[in-house]
Amino acid sequence: MIQLQSVWKVYSAGSAKVPALADVSFQVAKGEFVVLAGPSGAGKTTLLRLLYRDELPTEGEVQVAGREVIGLRRWQIPQLRRAIGIVFQDARLLPGRTVYDNVAFVLRVLGTPRREITPRVFQSLKAVGLQAKAQAFPAQLSQGEQQRAALARALVKEPPLLLADEPTGNLDEVMADEILELLKEIWRRGTTVLLATHRLSLAGQLKRRTLILELGRLVKDEG
Amino acid sequence: MSLLGFVLSEAGRDLRRAGRVGVSAILLITLSLGALGVFWLLSLNLGRAVVQWRERLRVVIYLKNEPTPGAVDGLLKKVESVEGVQRLRYIGKAEALQTLKRQLGAQASLVDQLPTNPLPASMEVTPAAEAATPEGTRALIQRLSAFPEVEEIQGGTEWVERVAQWRRLLDGVGLGVGALLALAAILAVTTAITLALDARREEMEIMRLVGATERVIRLPLLIQGMAQGFLGAAVALGGLYAAYRLTLPGVEPLISLTLGLPRVAFFSWPEMALLLGGGGLLGAVGGLLAKGRSAG
Repeated sequence: MIQLQSVWKVYSAGSAKVPALADVSFQVAKGEFVVLAGPSGAGKTTLLRLLYRDELPTEGEVQVAGREVIGLRRWQIPQLRRAIGIVFQDARLLPGRTVYDNVAFVLRVLGTPRREITPRVFQSLKAVGLQAKAQAFPAQLSQGEQQRAALARALVKEPPLLLADEPTGNLDEVMADEILELLKEIWRRGTTVLLATHRLSLAGQLKRRTLILELGRLVKDEG
Repeated sequence: MSLLGFVLSEAGRDLRRAGRVGVSAILLITLSLGALGVFWLLSLNLGRAVVQWRERLRVVIYLKNEPTPGAVDGLLKKVESVEGVQRLRYIGKAEALQTLKRQLGAQASLVDQLPTNPLPASMEVTPAAEAATPEGTRALIQRLSAFPEVEEIQGGTEWVERVAQWRRLLDGVGLGVGALLALAAILAVTTAITLALDARREEMEIMRLVGATERVIRLPLLIQGMAQGFLGAAVALGGLYAAYRLTLPGVEPLISLTLGLPRVAFFSWPEMALLLGGGGLLGAVGGLLAKGRSAG
């Protein structure tokens, strides 16, 4: 599902070159649940951004869902992103739309036939246990609920790959556990999951394969 | 179909959110197309007058002596064969006197007191289209002057052409003023849409992340601009029509007297469609410019 080969990402800061990722190589098979762990600034977010072509690597090869990401033309990027669900630390819900509309927005943007939208939105909301809050606005939800709504939005287009960038970062322990349980449930249904987190303890808790990034280098691949 | 519905509903949403900036964009388009419309209407009617005057243009040949009845046909044939003559009518001395009497009306008896008929026989020439220009008429008069029977020739198009020149000047001024206002309108639409763009930056980011194509992301902006332009043009057209109907009773007799037009015309359906389309185009350009900024 994911393949990185000798990937470098170097940023320029004046005349200095700062490597955000240095010679990173790994593979994630279809149906795997992988934790990408490392302290803040280790390069986790940069790595995820390479996967959904928000950034281009300075060097190396990136393959996602059978696509050579670097060679994609501008008009091909949406095709790649349709195969990826993304959730961030902040839920990034649209404040002026209800939970239902936030989730339905994805399907409407992608031109899904109208008759399919409602059942798929409710199916997705049910999967994250939020169907009772369909008509609530984001401001009326707890942070945990907002993150669940974001998960529903990421899943509604049924992507084969889910990228989660610190999805529990803003949550207390109970809410964070709920989200992790949901991620595991999503994985059990066949979605490949790559979870980025700064909490190394999470890796132990999930007992899944863990990649550890430090200062842009992949220092450990275990599990 | 559902994608089109989404694009249209997003455009409508943006239009409602545009608020005062959106309204001022529409007003500027109204103003620019209204000003352009006023000049266009004036030019349109002046143009009709010029065409009418050109059609009515006549060159009159006054003859030295009235030809004998048997010689009239021969003379007419000779003149008819001259290049630039479309139609020809002979007016004998007696007919000219009758016409004068009719024109004098109540004072017609004055003519009866004349010892002899002083009016010359004449020929009224309708120039062909190619001769109905100042140069064409001058050349025609020169050719007609060559006949020995001719005493004097009257007629010319200089004054008609002067009016035509005024019309061209009016067109130029109208286009200049319209272009300046159109530029302001485009900038206003661009500003309105750039603000709408800022308001939906989050939405656009999410659209990109979930795999929406750029066309789906940007099309609502273009439609919003076009809708603003179209609305502005419709208001301008409505205003122009209202002004036309209100001023018509006072202006029409004056126009009839000075320009000789029986009625003042408003835009035809295709011209109205062109004005509305022009508004849509102005708005679309504004929308595209806003797109350019956001794409940077």
